[in-house]
Amino acid sequence: MKKIALLYVAVLTVAGIFAFKTSASGEFEEEIAPIYGVKIPPGYRDWRLISVARVGDPLNDLRAKLGNDIAVKAYREGKLPFPDGTIIARLAWKQKTSETIKNAFRVRGGTETNLSPEQVEKLVDGSFVAGSPTNVQFMVKDSKKYASTGGWGFAQFNDGKPADEATHKTCFSCHEPAKDSDFVFTRYAP
Amino acid sequence: MKRITFSLVAIGALAGVAAFTSASGSASKEASPIYGVTIPSGYRDWQLIAVKQLHFAGMGEQLRAQVGNDIAMKAYKEGTRPFPDGAIIAAMHWTRVPSEDNDKVLDVPFPGTHSFVIGSPVNVQFMVKDSEKYAATGGWGFADFTNGKPGDRALHETCFPCHQTAKDRDFVFTDYAATP
Repeated sequence: MKKIALLYVAVLTVAGIFAFKTSASGEFEEEIAPIYGVKIPPGYRDWRLISVARVGDPLNDLRAKLGNDIAVKAYREGKLPFPDGTIIARLAWKQKTSETIKNAFRVRGGTETNLSPEQVEKLVDGSFVAGSPTNVQFMVKDSKKYASTGGWGFAQFNDGKPADEATHKTCFSCHEPAKDSDFVFTRYAP
Repeated sequence: MKRITFSLVAIGALAGVAAFTSASGSASKEASPIYGVTIPSGYRDWQLIAVKQLHFAGMGEQLRAQVGNDIAMKAYKEGTRPFPDGAIIAAMHWTRVPSEDNDKVLDVPFPGTHSFVIGSPVNVQFMVKDSEKYAATGGWGFADFTNGKPGDRALHETCFPCHQTAKDRDFVFTDYAATP
């Protein structure tokens, strides 16, 4: 009996370690953001493009906003407020200089546009591509569940991990000035 | 007989007007010179490859997004090079404008931040892979459309020489942006 009990404990321990490993090692779907309880929606990277943006110093990033089908439909039809089920994802990457683009500018820029080398370098300095990802944010519409925050639940994930509660406390107050556009900053890019 | 002829002419004229009207819409069937590429329907709904800012000579800073059809996205995600026939990459370009509204909001956590959003569309460019048809240009056909109208021949003559600098990457500049 003692032997069986010990084996049972051993099996549970192994199972526990295994469960810890699978959930902690990159299977971030189960991570839940504080306050709003939002998870990373599976497949969001394949959603359709709403628009793009850039933020300068001190962030120096490039951004893309993607929407699920409900979000994109509402955007195109100009429907406000967004219906329940809408999810908007904001992806951000550190800006970086692309060696490939730099090379193309240097090889072709001068010959095609009669630019001086200094002018070509100015173009290089003002050109960036998406480098390493910084974070992803989501807005999830559920007018009942999130009634006290304009119908939106907010979430930020850094490298698959939800940001802390203090960060999530800043979401709604920041989005409040955009009340006229249902608390959403981004417009659909024509 | 005369009457029938007349109505045929009328129908022909109407059809002509209809054809003209459709050409002036955004879904242009006009093909790019040299390569004969038309605007692929539904490209605005394709999946995102990456985003960029490009400071283009004489045009200021642009914000850009590259999207791909299913064949292109599969090749990107699996790292397949060269891209298979049928791959199409679309590059959408917009003017970049400062966003004072966003600055006000960002000023709280990040004082003095300057943020930018898209202004108006500039043009859209396509690369279409057909290794036989476009054998002379790395297997790619190129197209540039402004407001639904293809750019001229001189413009399209600049496509391949510029992309040739990315020969070791199958002539494609853009990398797939990692998932945050």
